[in-house]
Amino acid sequence: MAPLAALMLAGCAASLRTSPSPEISTRPSSASPNAPTPELPPEVPRPAPAPREFRLSPATQSLVAQAHTLQGRGDLPGASSTLDRALRIEPSNPLLWIELGRIRLVEGDAHQAEVCGRKALALASSDQRALSGAGHLLADALRTQGRNQEASEVESRW
Amino acid sequence: MIFAVFATVAVVAAAWIIHLDRVVTQQFQGRHWSVPAHVYAAPLELYAGAPISADDLEEELRRVHYRRGDPAGGPGLYRRVGNAFDIQTRRVRFIDEQRDAQLVSIHADASSVTSMRQIDGADLPVFRLDPPVIGSVFPIHGEDRLVLSPEEIPTLLRKGIKLIEDRRFDEHHGVDTLGVLRAVWVNLRAGRVVQGGSTLTQQLVKNYFLTDAQTFDRKATEAVMALRLEAHYSKDEILVAYLNEVFLGQDGERAIHGFGLGSEFYFAKPLGELDAGELALLIGLVKGPSYYDPRRHPDRALARRNLVLKGFADAHLIEANAAQRAAAAPLGLRPGGGSYVPAYIDLVRRHLKRDYAEADLAAAGLSVYTSLDPRAQAAAERALARDLQRLDAKAAARGGHLQGAVIVAEPNSGDVVAVVGGRETDTAGTFNRALDARRPIGSLVKPAVYLTALESGRYTAASLIEDAPIEMKLPDGSIWAPQNFEHNVNGSVTLAKALAESLNLATVKLGMDLGLSKVADTLQSLGLDSSTALNPSMLLGTVEMTPLEVVQVYTSLANGGFRARLRAVRAVVDEQGRPLRQFKVQVEPAAPPAAVYQLVRMLMLVPTHGTARAAAARLPRGLVIAGKTGTSSDTRDSWFAGFTGSYLSVVWVGYDDNRVTGLTGAAGALPVWADTMASLKPVSFEPIAPDSAEDRWIGFDDGLETTPACNPSAVVIGVPKNTVLARNPRCNPSQPPSVGDKIKSWFDRIVH
Repeated sequence: MAPLAALMLAGCAASLRTSPSPEISTRPSSASPNAPTPELPPEVPRPAPAPREFRLSPATQSLVAQAHTLQGRGDLPGASSTLDRALRIEPSNPLLWIELGRIRLVEGDAHQAEVCGRKALALASSDQRALSGAGHLLADALRTQGRNQEASEVESRW
Repeated sequence: MIFAVFATVAVVAAAWIIHLDRVVTQQFQGRHWSVPAHVYAAPLELYAGAPISADDLEEELRRVHYRRGDPAGGPGLYRRVGNAFDIQTRRVRFIDEQRDAQLVSIHADASSVTSMRQIDGADLPVFRLDPPVIGSVFPIHGEDRLVLSPEEIPTLLRKGIKLIEDRRFDEHHGVDTLGVLRAVWVNLRAGRVVQGGSTLTQQLVKNYFLTDAQTFDRKATEAVMALRLEAHYSKDEILVAYLNEVFLGQDGERAIHGFGLGSEFYFAKPLGELDAGELALLIGLVKGPSYYDPRRHPDRALARRNLVLKGFADAHLIEANAAQRAAAAPLGLRPGGGSYVPAYIDLVRRHLKRDYAEADLAAAGLSVYTSLDPRAQAAAERALARDLQRLDAKAAARGGHLQGAVIVAEPNSGDVVAVVGGRETDTAGTFNRALDARRPIGSLVKPAVYLTALESGRYTAASLIEDAPIEMKLPDGSIWAPQNFEHNVNGSVTLAKALAESLNLATVKLGMDLGLSKVADTLQSLGLDSSTALNPSMLLGTVEMTPLEVVQVYTSLANGGFRARLRAVRAVVDEQGRPLRQFKVQVEPAAPPAAVYQLVRMLMLVPTHGTARAAAARLPRGLVIAGKTGTSSDTRDSWFAGFTGSYLSVVWVGYDDNRVTGLTGAAGALPVWADTMASLKPVSFEPIAPDSAEDRWIGFDDGLETTPACNPSAVVIGVPKNTVLARNPRCNPSQPPSVGDKIKSWFDRIVH
């Protein structure tokens, strides 16, 4: 089932590629004497990484809940180091970077919140929920810094 | 007249005594009350799925001094039945909480934790063990010592030290007149010095305030100071200070002072866990730490220990048969790789100095929480020692003593989890190569060149560049003609191949095309602090960096283009548990994530298709890693920097005197790297493509887009989304499609 799903995705990816972006020339003109014509139909299947859907494990979920409780009590350093713990368990989970960025915003560190948002965006891959959470965080962080136009651009993308 | 002389002498003497009194009280007071900060390693996090086997868990429990027993019996006890553990934890303070003792039940199998709950059945999704103590520092003057509080001193040590060194300690007032007379008598009868008359107090004074010169003047000063010390402080305070101060041996350039450190240095155990024989050895060492050095003179040390044991038995401190049993036992010195980690503590001390005001650190009873992972530290120490020994044996003709350094870090948080500063890991005060050896990084610089190329948007991993002879006239008029390591020329090659095989000519061509200052800028934004001289040879790694600096730069790559500030210290907490200051995870953008993704995909080809192919044999089958070898000119420096899904590590191997090693990065540093990683239950590195990038298959040699079915040498690269790559004409639809292709075209048909 999984390989089939991957192939299905590959198919989708290929069929979606209608307008190749023109700005990247992949080889210097002199370099490749036998360069084939790029007009070949886009039939070559592509490596298709399994789609990711990020969620929290029971361990990190409990730590996030604990961080929220601490934050509710006004213990921001406690909330922050509790999220640290969670990130040590799942360092590549964009949802945790979003949580961390939210704490940074409350702490008044909009710059770090922005970086957390960007980091979460980079990690979110194609997970729409994570992308949108990261986008919102980033937009909020930008707006806090008075960068309203960038914020709106970000919001319109994610 | 005589009266006047007497009066003058008396006044001078009184002034002298008052002066010494002041010295004693001021200095002793200052020293005596400066409680060192305790330094802790990172606590081990446990949760279902954590890669900790049942045996690992037991080892970790022992590391934090839990004992087998009925867990209902009190904190610090655990019971193991098969793979199930019941534990009563201690009350323990972490950075963010004080946790009370609790009863927990943990199951683990041969590879990981399977379930956890509290004994009353309540859920326990995550749980951390006590953070292990790794040392004590006086953060300001920087000595490391394991200072003991009075209650940490075993009774046998209290009684034993008095028995052996100063029998009348409890009676005298600092100077033991009877003892001196007895010593004189014994020495006269023997015709040589066999007994000293110094009390513990005098020895302490000597250690604290005086030099080693054996003059009458000094003897008198010592006696007066000892008397004054006894006048001001209790016997117990003096005894505790003595046990913390006494000299017990030499470790390279560093003196081992105090029984706490002595215990760790000789036995790798806390003092409280030493048996009678081990205590006897330490007590026996006081008489002559160098003469009785148990590592250099085991026979003398053994005889001395057994004499002390006999003394214990004669004085009824222990049973006679217990003394005999202990005397029959070997010395029991630690094999090395204990909990004492001077190279790591060195980094902790530097970070404290960098990040804290001196006044803050003067407070008593601070706790320093670090990122050290004792298992990673032990793995790195073991790997370096073993591989260097093997490499030394192979290069016996060279007759050198190879050195090395290893740093292990967690790239997302910037946590530095292990630091090995050389082969002799228990040696502090010596050269910490991990932090201070500044060496040419060779081809470790190349990823910066290729990242610059990818960032420019003019190249992808599939682009072709020329690997052809180059001659360049340098500003000083000389001609620079670099060579490939193999002295070959490859013609037109893909970027992917040029980096994987570390081709010098192609890289110089590429770097010159991009511009040296652009490459230097990339290095800097990745995290290099110092500036780089803009010579063409910088493209091949004449730039010099310490292993720690390399870690900083590679962290940005492993971390998808974000630079995490390296930290050994997570927080310093005061006696009341309030964080003095906390070091949050701090991340900055270093390079565009999509470009870094493309680069990292190329670095994954180094171990599969390039210079680091030898790593596979030492790593778990199928483990995906990314990294880069580095070799400086004439193989003086051998480097490897790389990452798994768990850790980033940088290894340097070379000679301290900068001689030629004959080792490439793959032959010297790579095995150390792989052996370190292999013992850390690594998970595969899984790069996450940002939304703006995607993966393609290309021919490794020709750069043409293809499929594995069509071209067996197809490799995966990352490219910006929607990049048009030239196709391999042989891989066209007229070719008989594979089963997968058939399904796909069927799928395409029904979708359209």
